[in-house]
Amino acid sequence: MDALITLSINGLATGMLIFLLAAGLTLIFGLMDVLNFAHGGLFAWGAYAGVWFYMTTESFLVGILCAIITGLALGFLTERFIIKPVYGNHIQQILITLGLMLVLSEMLKVVWGPNQLSAQTPSYLSGSWEIGNVILIKYRLFIIIVGFLVFFLVHYILKNTKIGLIVRAGVMNKEMVQALGINIKKVFMYVFMVGSAMAALGGVLLGPYSGVIYAEMGLEFAILAFIVVVIGGMGSIKGSLFAAILVGLSGSFMAYYVPALSLAVNMLLMAIVLIFRPQGLFGVKG
Amino acid sequence: MKIETQSRRVLFIYGAVAVFLLCFPFINDSRSLLILFTQIFIFAVFAMSYDILLGYTGIVSFGHAMFFGIGAYSTGVFLKQFDHTMVVLILSVLFGIVFAGIVSYFVGLLSLRLKSHFYAMLTLAFAGLFLVAAEKWRTITYGNDGFTFRIPELLKDRMVLYFITLAVMILVFIGLRRFTESPVGRVLQAIRENEARTESLGYQVIHYKIIASIVAGVIASISGSMYVLTLRFVNTSVFKMDVTLDALLMTIIGGVGTLVGAIIGAGLIEFAHHWLTDLAKVHWIFERWIIFFGILYILVVMFFPAGIVGTTRGWMIKYKAKKIEKKQKKKHEIAG
Repeated sequence: MDALITLSINGLATGMLIFLLAAGLTLIFGLMDVLNFAHGGLFAWGAYAGVWFYMTTESFLVGILCAIITGLALGFLTERFIIKPVYGNHIQQILITLGLMLVLSEMLKVVWGPNQLSAQTPSYLSGSWEIGNVILIKYRLFIIIVGFLVFFLVHYILKNTKIGLIVRAGVMNKEMVQALGINIKKVFMYVFMVGSAMAALGGVLLGPYSGVIYAEMGLEFAILAFIVVVIGGMGSIKGSLFAAILVGLSGSFMAYYVPALSLAVNMLLMAIVLIFRPQGLFGVKG
Repeated sequence: MKIETQSRRVLFIYGAVAVFLLCFPFINDSRSLLILFTQIFIFAVFAMSYDILLGYTGIVSFGHAMFFGIGAYSTGVFLKQFDHTMVVLILSVLFGIVFAGIVSYFVGLLSLRLKSHFYAMLTLAFAGLFLVAAEKWRTITYGNDGFTFRIPELLKDRMVLYFITLAVMILVFIGLRRFTESPVGRVLQAIRENEARTESLGYQVIHYKIIASIVAGVIASISGSMYVLTLRFVNTSVFKMDVTLDALLMTIIGGVGTLVGAIIGAGLIEFAHHWLTDLAKVHWIFERWIIFFGILYILVVMFFPAGIVGTTRGWMIKYKAKKIEKKQKKKHEIAG
């Protein structure tokens, strides 16, 4: 029983990190119909910028802030110069964002060197509580809380605010919203920036969680995020949350009980979902 | 486009280039150039196979390295575990072909029903799975470190290897040309242009897409086999994303939808790689040459989506049209 709870918390924490990445991906896709293969690059940039500032200023909050700002800035530049010319053409989007991914991850090595960067957990988040035989690691709980907060925030904004209404309407009918006097292009730009910032946040949170960050992790986590988006259904934030938790949990349980399968379990999950529900668990057929 | 590629002048140029390449080792005795050319031939085969997917069918795969790796590992493992004779080598290539065919069939069956972007993601994930498998199955693959193996006596001569790879490239080029101009190839191009319309014409689109994916997978496996033959070494890097990216860059820069473009792209990228790595001694930034490629690639996708061959072809067509127009104008003037 105790092992079960510990494993669940581990799985949830990993799941939340993946969620932050996948949510941005699915937000950008669902709302703007843009496939961003450079998302992992933004994630890695958030991680490097955040961890670097955190280690130099020794304040985790500053690190998080810097990561978010980096994400917003890179998101702005990406949308403005890379995505804008290829709106509406999926294949070109895939190709061009992949090129960007290359540039981003190599630039990381130019700025911070080819070696990995190490990050420690801030003192107030390190350590753990013990309840009975269950060990609750503070930092993992912190990640879980942040993940859920982001989810509820995004969900609330999309469903209950005027901005959310505009965004959703823009998805339905771009021209109509434009005709009502709202600059839909600008709205989409903000959506893209928010998605990038979420990826960057995920990156900086990963730093203390795994201890080291390296340039290749962008692609590694991007693959996980893609799997999550496919399982959850493209464009569904709820689906991404659910699928990310599922992937996180199955990963952590498999690593404990059936280690041999742990690396393949995500792929198997995805294959099963695809066979029975090609549009994903929460996806709408279309 | 068919009329154009088959024009006599173009065929003559192809023939001249082939003859030049056949004579090349006798004119030039630079070893490093010989090796570089061998490398170009191998990657040209790989890029052509990728072009069948991207250029002719319009599907983006990010897992093409998977098939390259399958070929590479089957040849490596066969030559290491059994004997280093020609028979084993041929068997290994055949094994790679069959295995790549089966894998591409299942990957295609599972994921080609989905839209293009899902396919791209899924292939990325599948290739990741193969990479992990190659890293974990240490008894056969020796994990990340890879292993060296011996190759048949005959192939130890670089010259022989050069001719074999050249021959394979020419054969694949001719074969794929026939394939793309066959009825099946025509349907593939129709799918690229308008999938919904092709479907409504009564073609089973998925069926044709799977055929394209199998052809591409099999050819990629052959190039993987040849690749490790030149190195006499194989490790997990053959499954890495970089390999797929190379193929992507080659096809995009050379020109999607043209087999010659893939060959030219392969030549350019391999040459550039060679030179830029040398330049690393001059300035450290050249060690990160991928950045330049990345930027170049983004610019190509943005401004020259047709690539080198496509763009020049466009110019040629325009030039010819202008010529005809001028002629007609002259006729009109005379008549008038």
